[in-house]
Amino acid sequence: MSNILFDVGYEHFLVLAAVLFLIGVGGVLVRRNALIILMSVELMLNAANMTVLTFARMWGDISGHTFALMVIAVAAAEASVGLAIVVAVFRGRRNVDVDRLTTLRH
Amino acid sequence: MMTRLLILITSAAVALGAAGALAPRLAAAQVQLQPAQPAAGQPQPAQVQPAQPGLQNPTLQPAPGERAPRVTVLKRAPHSDRIESNGKGMALLFWAFALVTIGGALFVVTRRNLIAAVMGMVGSFMGIAAVYMMLYASFLSVIQMLVYAGAIMVLFVFVIMILNRPEDEPVAPSGRAGQILGGAAMLYLVGRLVMTLINVQAPESALAPPAPVTVPGTAIQHEWGSVKAVGTDLFGPGLFPFEAISILLLVAVVGAIAIARPLHEDPEPEGDAGAAP
Repeated sequence: MSNILFDVGYEHFLVLAAVLFLIGVGGVLVRRNALIILMSVELMLNAANMTVLTFARMWGDISGHTFALMVIAVAAAEASVGLAIVVAVFRGRRNVDVDRLTTLRH
Repeated sequence: MMTRLLILITSAAVALGAAGALAPRLAAAQVQLQPAQPAAGQPQPAQVQPAQPGLQNPTLQPAPGERAPRVTVLKRAPHSDRIESNGKGMALLFWAFALVTIGGALFVVTRRNLIAAVMGMVGSFMGIAAVYMMLYASFLSVIQMLVYAGAIMVLFVFVIMILNRPEDEPVAPSGRAGQILGGAAMLYLVGRLVMTLINVQAPESALAPPAPVTVPGTAIQHEWGSVKAVGTDLFGPGLFPFEAISILLLVAVVGAIAIARPLHEDPEPEGDAGAAP
């Protein structure tokens, strides 16, 4: 038990990233508000980033950091476009409940 | 209100505390690199020894015939093993940051109030930035704080305020069978993750300082995860992704404006189009 607590190895970081990813997936599946879903997607991207950085550290490959930087930039672009879509949808329907977004017309 | 403030202040304090705790370690790794440059013939750079009480460190003495490396001598703390230790203190710090990260993430997926969810997300991002620091990804850690917690979350807050509906409806209720199945699946998943932690033995501590990054084709070395090391890879092998991401960001900006623009246009006055040049 003490070696899990005190000998922090790479598997600790990988399990942390996995738990973060699962919480993100749970948020996407369970919640109905589009903004919470977008935030859960950001959580998943961060979990993937943490995994990439852990493996980069494990194998001494600095290109993992470049990959993670690209992931952060792509996440920023995707968040801005996703939020623009949420604003546009809200303008027509006055709510962002994804359970009600079942038809193209309102 | 007070809970949100408390969470924000705690997470910021934890992230700053992590940076402060790790700064001497990173500075020590930097100090370790300095003697390696003038002495290319030595087989290995000198390992950082546990500091003696007082300012004289024997590993920083230059070899005979070598000029003294220009190095700032750090004032070591009285408990010298805490500076470069990979031991219990740093491990407990990892657990603290992991708790902050997981707690913030759970906050996001369970709160009804959207602003509370955003605050939980910010706390989670700060915890993730601290974990990146423990992985010696110092550049990525600061970028995470600046871009994610500083820009993307502000964007979320803007949109929440535009929508002007800070409260969300509760989650759609599921049947009893769905709840039992979901609970069982979650228990199984958590059990498998804990068994992974128990069974996999760490061959080496992940908290030890990593080897420096060599610029390909030269003998220049940069500290692992520093701006120079990431820049060496970004403007070397990673040049095409770098240029492509700039085009992607341009497309995203134009697309966001095009999507979020209101549908009706202002009526233009007639007759101006036929005016003589």
